[in-house]
Amino acid sequence: MQRTRRSLFARLVIRVAAVLAGGAAILMTAAWFYARAAADEAYDRLLQGAAIQILDSLVVEEGRIAVDLPPSAFELLGLAPRDKIFYRVVAPDGATLTGYEDLDFPADVANARTQALFETASFRGLPVRMVAASRAIADPSIGGWANVLIAQTTEARQELTTELTTRALVLVGVMSLLALGGTVLAVRYSLRPLDALGDTLRRRDSQDLTPLAVDVPRELSPFVESINHFMRRLDDRLRLLQRFIADSAHQIRTPLTALSAQVSLIDEEALSDNDRRHLNRVKNRASELARFTTQLLNHAMVIHRFDSVQLSPVDVVDVARKAFRAAVPITIDPDIVVSFEAPPQALMVLGDGLSLREAIVNVIDNSLRHGVVSSLAVRIVRRGNFVLVEVEDDGPGIPAQDWPQVTRRFVSSKSGEGSSGLGFAIASEVAATLSGALGFREPTPETGFTVFLELPLLDKRSAP
Amino acid sequence: MKLKRKIPSLMACLLTTFLASTSVLALEGDRSIFPAPGTERARLVINGVTDAEVIAPLIRDFQLRAPDVTVEFNDYVSNDLFREAELACREERSHGDLWISSSVDHLVKLANDGCARSHRSAETERVSAWANWRDEIFGFAFEPAVIVYDASQVPTEDVPRSHVEIAELLRRKPDEYWSRIGTYNVKLSGVGYLLAFHDALQAPTSYGRLLESFSRAQVVTSCCNKEVLDLIETGRLKIAYNILGSYAYARYLRNNDIRVVVPRDYTLILTRGAMIPTHSPQPDLAARFLDHLVSERGQKVARDKAFYFAENAPLPPGVDGPISLIESGIGRPIRVGPALLAAQDRATREEFIRNWTSLLAPGAQ
Repeated sequence: MQRTRRSLFARLVIRVAAVLAGGAAILMTAAWFYARAAADEAYDRLLQGAAIQILDSLVVEEGRIAVDLPPSAFELLGLAPRDKIFYRVVAPDGATLTGYEDLDFPADVANARTQALFETASFRGLPVRMVAASRAIADPSIGGWANVLIAQTTEARQELTTELTTRALVLVGVMSLLALGGTVLAVRYSLRPLDALGDTLRRRDSQDLTPLAVDVPRELSPFVESINHFMRRLDDRLRLLQRFIADSAHQIRTPLTALSAQVSLIDEEALSDNDRRHLNRVKNRASELARFTTQLLNHAMVIHRFDSVQLSPVDVVDVARKAFRAAVPITIDPDIVVSFEAPPQALMVLGDGLSLREAIVNVIDNSLRHGVVSSLAVRIVRRGNFVLVEVEDDGPGIPAQDWPQVTRRFVSSKSGEGSSGLGFAIASEVAATLSGALGFREPTPETGFTVFLELPLLDKRSAP
Repeated sequence: MKLKRKIPSLMACLLTTFLASTSVLALEGDRSIFPAPGTERARLVINGVTDAEVIAPLIRDFQLRAPDVTVEFNDYVSNDLFREAELACREERSHGDLWISSSVDHLVKLANDGCARSHRSAETERVSAWANWRDEIFGFAFEPAVIVYDASQVPTEDVPRSHVEIAELLRRKPDEYWSRIGTYNVKLSGVGYLLAFHDALQAPTSYGRLLESFSRAQVVTSCCNKEVLDLIETGRLKIAYNILGSYAYARYLRNNDIRVVVPRDYTLILTRGAMIPTHSPQPDLAARFLDHLVSERGQKVARDKAFYFAENAPLPPGVDGPISLIESGIGRPIRVGPALLAAQDRATREEFIRNWTSLLAPGAQ
């Protein structure tokens, strides 16, 4: 039993979505790191600027360092409006000149002499970013390096990080959605040839074994080629089989004719009643076999003709009349009323006269054999762009539920009573090949059971 | 001539020492009780730097909405409140439910040291950005620093309408105004220090000249607005510099000779800040009062009865000054924010006061 797996579309979309989600997560993490670095850099510059301003304000007056903190340094830090500021100015001898005496830099401040140092730390329970900067005091009495430590809480940094990350989030989100939407469309578009191929295969007639003629992308062509290759082989096999059947039928006919001749030579008078009854059965069976063999040959002929003969315009009325004459035997029970009605003008269809005649003969023959009680009517009717060849009899007809089956080979309308059912199959095949159909109509109080062949009329304008 | 000049100088020295000693009395705080109009269920303790009679209308209006609250208002000199508050914060004990001070630099320093409790409400949204720091300090009064003169003693042509004009006047008529100009003692008054610090920041050159002329004119310094205004009212002083608008205007309403000038070159604008301490015993009650202060109703009461000046209102009638303070760019609000930490730096402050004292009151050192 074939198990249906998840569709190609779902597989592709789920995988692409997973890749996109993973990518978005990576991008978001990267954006967050980047935003944090950017926020740190931006506000670190403010810190450094403030530290430089404070260092610049240190002056040596009368042998001591005077501190006059420039408000502009604090205004600079105030650009992070909600953040608290802690600072400490340290003299070269380590004494705190001003500020928060408990503020300490986590690293060695001596390194700040070449370049300002930054650290993330904690002060009084608050997360802070710290800067340490140094300046050489050139006074001989108190020479050395003065340090400034500034710590600032990180609210503004966090706010900026959040803001930048949120913007990145929106961008990445929109891009991911666009990409996903694009993928869905692209996958839909790319899978369309598959659907088309499936449709072609589904719509195909079960008898049609010609190669598939669909345009498919390169990736699908091996698949289509395999199908075509398989069908070609199947077709070849079928042809072989048909030829074998035709040959067999042909081979059987000769001994069968001889058998019939031999049987007819038997002197019936010399036989006992019992033997005569047996002989009659043998005669009947022999004629049934002969008919069946003829049908097989006809069927092979029809198929062969459609393979080899070019279709040409034929007059349905003419063909039907010939078929009627051929099908109704001279020895028919004189009590049976037979009739043939046709319009005076010719009705042209594109077809093969011989095959069409064979089809009509088979329908009439079937009716005579299984249906007719007392009347048989053959009518040619034009209906719109179609011509109908109707064969009506007053028999019980075929129940509607059996209609689909009777056009198949070797299925008789009355199961159990003989098995000669190639007739409808031949008629149906011919009708289908001529773009028509074989149909049935239920008996009504006015009309009897009707079998009809419906064929498209040849369009006069497009006729050759 | 020389002797004549020396006597008032001595007087001024005496006066400053006297004023310094009165401020010691104020250290304990002047306690005013506003009993609950209804049955008392709660008692709100406010420690503030504001005369009780100035803020009384606001407290009474608050009690209309909260009749079960008795309000205790302790009036401090700004430096004393700061010292007490800082100590209380360091020792993690309570010191009143709400702090109010015009020395916003003190409040900023306290908030920076983690002594403030954050409060947000629909009412606090109304506070201008320059008057709100971290949702911890809220400015609720608009206080221009004005010049006050006694119209009975200062002729019209002498009335100074800018900082430069004061210096000019003192240069032009040194004798008339010798020892007849008053201003804050920056050493004793936090507000005085804050205003002087920002004067030096806004216009370093003209402020230097002003200080120099003050020094020559033997300026009289005092701890508090009230005392300077008293001295003007008694005729001791003719002109007072850097007086908070609300006090000056209240005095003008009482005595029309005392006139108010809003300087036309630049006017420092201070806000009175309110802050809920971290260790406030009743932060919710304090927040209710704070919300009342900044609410539309509270602001209207403040404009009509307490502080007279307001950010989005014209100058009160009778005040000599520019038509619009903020739009013209003359008004320079002192932004409540970390920049005030520079003013509060110990070394910077000491240096500033040392310079100021050496110039203005060498005898008081």
